[in-house]
Amino acid sequence: MPDPVTREDRRWSLWAGVIVAGVLTFSLLVGFVVLPLAQAPNANLDAWTAICRAVGLQPGTPAQPQPPVSATAAPVSQVRWTPATLQILDAADLRPGAALASAVCADCHGAEGFSTSADVPQLAGQSAPVIYKQLTDYRSGARAHPQMTDVAKALTEVQLAQIAAYYAGYRKHDALGRSQELPSDPIARLAHRGDPSRGLAPCESCHARASGGPPEAPILTGQRADYLVSQMKAFKTGQRRNDVYRRMRDVAGALTDDEIARLGQFYQGVY
Amino acid sequence: MPINRRLILAHFWLAFVVFAAACALGVWQMWVRSPLAAPQDVPERYYQSVTAHGVSMAYVLTTFFIMGFGYFVAETALKRELPGKTWAWAAYGIAVVGVLMTVMSIAAGQASVLYTFYPPMTATIWFYVGLVLVVVGSWIWCALMLVAMARFKRDNPGVPVPLAMYATVANAVMWLWTTVGVAAEILFQIIPAVMGWTQTIDVGLSRTLFSWTLHAIVYFWLLPAYIAFYTMAPRAAGGRLYSDTMGRLSFVLFLLYSLPVGMHHLFMDPEHSTGFKFVQMSLTALVSIPTLLTVFTISASLELAGRLRGGKGLLGWIRALPWDRPMVLATGLAFFMLWFGGGGGLINMSYGMNAMIHNTSWVTAHFHLIFGGTVILMYFAIAYEIWPSLTRQPFRSATLQRFQLWLWAVGMMVMTIPWHFLGLQGQWRRVATFDYSDPRISAWGPWVVVSLVGGVMLLVSALLFVWILIPKRYSPAPAPAPTYAFALAVHPPHRVPAALNGFFLWNILVAVLMVAAYGFPILQFFMGDAPQAVIHRLSGG
Repeated sequence: MPDPVTREDRRWSLWAGVIVAGVLTFSLLVGFVVLPLAQAPNANLDAWTAICRAVGLQPGTPAQPQPPVSATAAPVSQVRWTPATLQILDAADLRPGAALASAVCADCHGAEGFSTSADVPQLAGQSAPVIYKQLTDYRSGARAHPQMTDVAKALTEVQLAQIAAYYAGYRKHDALGRSQELPSDPIARLAHRGDPSRGLAPCESCHARASGGPPEAPILTGQRADYLVSQMKAFKTGQRRNDVYRRMRDVAGALTDDEIARLGQFYQGVY
Repeated sequence: MPINRRLILAHFWLAFVVFAAACALGVWQMWVRSPLAAPQDVPERYYQSVTAHGVSMAYVLTTFFIMGFGYFVAETALKRELPGKTWAWAAYGIAVVGVLMTVMSIAAGQASVLYTFYPPMTATIWFYVGLVLVVVGSWIWCALMLVAMARFKRDNPGVPVPLAMYATVANAVMWLWTTVGVAAEILFQIIPAVMGWTQTIDVGLSRTLFSWTLHAIVYFWLLPAYIAFYTMAPRAAGGRLYSDTMGRLSFVLFLLYSLPVGMHHLFMDPEHSTGFKFVQMSLTALVSIPTLLTVFTISASLELAGRLRGGKGLLGWIRALPWDRPMVLATGLAFFMLWFGGGGGLINMSYGMNAMIHNTSWVTAHFHLIFGGTVILMYFAIAYEIWPSLTRQPFRSATLQRFQLWLWAVGMMVMTIPWHFLGLQGQWRRVATFDYSDPRISAWGPWVVVSLVGGVMLLVSALLFVWILIPKRYSPAPAPAPTYAFALAVHPPHRVPAALNGFFLWNILVAVLMVAAYGFPILQFFMGDAPQAVIHRLSGG
């Protein structure tokens, strides 16, 4: 038999409700009315705008706008990782990609992405966003190369994504990976741990499969040493500039030529 | 003696073994952050270890301990057999499978996203599925607690539900509310991202949903400590509980004001307006009411006990208390740390002051002091208190237990005081390495080493705790232990208002508060084009 509801029980419900409602009303009043009204004059806002901002119906902070800068920054790379870009990559069809690869890319990069020359990068198992970004940069002029610029300009955006998806599909065996033990060797240490005294993050914090780094960071394991060295030097001298937020120019600038040479060997897997 | 002692012991043992392992990881993490050369000093390992430490402490230790303790309370406080024993074992099995999945994902280096997930990073699907299974196990536990209380009320009309059980059910109800946020985040945002169904994720929404869970979960961990304060400590001290009603009121206030307050973790986030941050801050401030009610009630209860034992004068009763009993000692030490941790918490929850310490070591120090200090210390005391009735073997002496409790309390202070200090200096958290050769931070080095010393003390204490609990060969022969008895109130209740004997009214009020505090902040993400973040997959390599 359920307990009969007594007057005392009703009183409890009533007062609990009243107290909770009172507390809530107090916070709503202070948070949405009193504080915005008190602070509105300092921010040159009218009362209604201040209340709307406090509720979140109008965006932004009440801070004064900064004087505009006349120079417009020109981004080096035109690639932005928007949902639309990711959608193009996600929807890329491998079959036309394979046909294009064998017709256009295979002479230098190999039909399955294993390059024939030491200064031509391996593409097998490289991530699709990486290949896509470099091709797009060649197309926009953010990166330049005697052959690649013309090749990329002759293809559409969707075709670039198809080629990227095709080569990304070849998973090569990673000779070195994220789960490597830390050797005492200074170059391996640079790759796994970085060098805080020079502000160098570990290479692996971006350049490993599933590192969670930026999408445009290539997987380096198994890449050709000559190619890696030439690119790091190009970043160091500023000859190559299509790295987002100039990350690689800063990193390469802090490395010695000897370290660059040995990092190239390390990632090729022959160090 | 509980009939389901195997069930309860299975929960406790899993919790404590994982706890000891997580303590060892914690020490290594402090070591890596210190200027001393540590083995395996790689950032990647550090984040892997932090994930394992956080998941073990926050999800495994707590959930299993609370479930085991709940079963114990349901049997001993209600003096009835536990309903759905098979369900309870099934829940245990599901949760164990979940733990194995999660641990293996982390060990494989596929889930270094920390226990708070941090989208747009994503781990392997098995990590999330494992955690979901742990939560599903705990939901079954919640249902069993609710059924146990309902059957007691059905068979004993008009009789108040014993305080220990009422508080346990308050925790179960709170947990059901709490897990809604994180469950929504995992099911509707993270799993689609991990499976590749979506390429971007709305991080503002996921942080909001996680904040729904993030503060209340802390009270889920804390309430067993409060249950021990109210229903175990007064009796252990040789007295009675000062007021049963105060206890009930405290637990319902925790239920009310632990949920609509999570946005105080997002004070520095841009996705919410100042008004809602203020509302949730002011509701957070109300959590101090049940805390202070408890401090008052338990102090009064202990004063009664002290005076019964011959204590005189204004403070003489404190000296007269039986501090040689682990439960009394742990209560005293836990209260001491609650002052420091609670004081730090008031700074964290203040909209303005939060800016000083946001994302610094201060925050890490705060939650280690409250959770590692107050809560875990009381978990130890609860284990010591009920172990003889579970194993049928009384402890030979309490000396080692007292030493273990002191070592833990001192170790926690030694570890967290430098952290608080360094937080005020601006030392950032969630960072694997520091360049101590940089003159701007080189002075931090010695303080981090002091923290490491505290960490080592904690590890020794944790291992000692597990060792004390292991049944010894030289222990006295098993004897039927007396039934465990909870503390009685000075005036045991004969009839309590329906509001303090059930949760109907409080659930309605929680719903009202949650709609007010989280309604628009969540709705706004669906009103326009919320910015999306690219998913960063940390698994598959």
